Amino acid sequence: MQGYEKIVMTKDDIVPTAQRMRDEGRRLVMIHGFLTDNGFNVSYEYEVGSNVESYTVETAESLPSIAAIYDKAAEWPERELHELMGITFEGLDTSRRLFLADSMLDGQGQILVTPMKELIDKAQGGKQA
Amino acid sequence: MSYIIPIGPYHPALEEPVHAKLITDGEMITDAEVSIGYNHRGIEKLATERNFIQTIILVERVCGICSHSHAFNYAQAVEAIAGMNVPKRGQYIRVIMAELERLHSHYLWLGIACHIIGHDSLFMHIWNDREIVMDILEEISGNRVNYGMVTIGGSRRDIDEEKAQHILQMLEKLESSLLRIRDILLADKTVAMRTKGVGVLTTEDAIRIGAIGPHARASNVAVDVRIDAPYSCYDEFEFKKCTWDSCDVFARVVVRVLESVESISIIRQALANLPKGPIHLGVKLPKVPAGEYMTRHEAPRGQLVTKVVTDGGECNKRVSIHVPTFKNAPTLTAMLKGNTVADAGLIVASIDPCFSCMDR
Repeated sequence: MQGYEKIVMTKDDIVPTAQRMRDEGRRLVMIHGFLTDNGFNVSYEYEVGSNVESYTVETAESLPSIAAIYDKAAEWPERELHELMGITFEGLDTSRRLFLADSMLDGQGQILVTPMKELIDKAQGGKQA
Repeated sequence: MSYIIPIGPYHPALEEPVHAKLITDGEMITDAEVSIGYNHRGIEKLATERNFIQTIILVERVCGICSHSHAFNYAQAVEAIAGMNVPKRGQYIRVIMAELERLHSHYLWLGIACHIIGHDSLFMHIWNDREIVMDILEEISGNRVNYGMVTIGGSRRDIDEEKAQHILQMLEKLESSLLRIRDILLADKTVAMRTKGVGVLTTEDAIRIGAIGPHARASNVAVDVRIDAPYSCYDEFEFKKCTWDSCDVFARVVVRVLESVESISIIRQALANLPKGPIHLGVKLPKVPAGEYMTRHEAPRGQLVTKVVTDGGECNKRVSIHVPTFKNAPTLTAMLKGNTVADAGLIVASIDPCFSCMDR
């Protein structure tokens, strides 16, 4: 049966952990992120047998990219976190947007970093206008 | 001379919005770039404003094809945090719905593939059979899509003996036709000429880029969450992983046909051994403590990942949904290179993409 284990790590552990997992032939299931009061929480989930080991780091700093180790399996989730949450990954090519191409939108973060109240106010304001 | 051919985000040949730039040399594609996000509805953000029951209704709307998969996987994550044990009968009904969903999704894709390669008689035959699956889904849930069959702690609707017998009869009809379709697809000259050697994704590339689901299995990568990391009651059924080693569009056709046969077998086993007892734990709003959990489910297109974080309140603190297309779409560049522009539509379609799922 499926298991899930959370392991807290530091920013410095991200690359060595990814390299160890890649060398052991482990699949990177996903990189998840969410915003916290102190910054953001990013977890790197690896498939180990039938379990998932979730290596989590909570920080407000930029994080090293593991795209060179896990190719697109890491590059796309990192680009998503960068574009939707404003998290910076060192070494990640962000010259082109993944979500909504090129110059269609300016700046970081859309709905995920906009409080729901603000969206509702804007929508109601738009109706009144 | 090199040309850039833009396709999408809105294009008559696309069912859903996506933007692809094909860099071509004459008719040959030398490189490709994919951009996504045109269907982003902020579902993950909305989930933080909903309670656990409301979120099931919400996540079912992530996708019109694999709606049950989203509800199933989300419920499993919440149940794991809350320490709930879903009654066996409820688990079996969830699995029956999941396999019916796989059937109608695979039939949908097989039909579209036949339509794209110009084999419209087979397309109509496959979609005609798909209606049998849709009728079964409607008979069980009342709906053809967005079945509303999952609740936290079980399933919402039961399958009685009379209904089970009727479903078994319909499956018999479906299977005899499916075996004929399988034989035609494996031997048909038109299918072979348009799909063999087209859009190759080598086993090495599939592993390197992280492909999953039938797309990976068609590149001879034997991954299937139902067997590798069983969940719900999948460990109680006998079925096999279907792989093919030609790594091309033809392999993706074959794998989906073979998997459809396996799905019918799973549904038969589940109906024959449907345990007695309740189908859910009750209808009250569940009390979920603070915690986090991530579940994986083999959706029709591959591994669906749902992570839920709770803080002990009525709503989710965070819901993160990652779908198979998010893992399989990056393989498009490798598959498109070296093929002609004329095959680009078929190659993109061969991953069975769901941009509605991917953008959320």
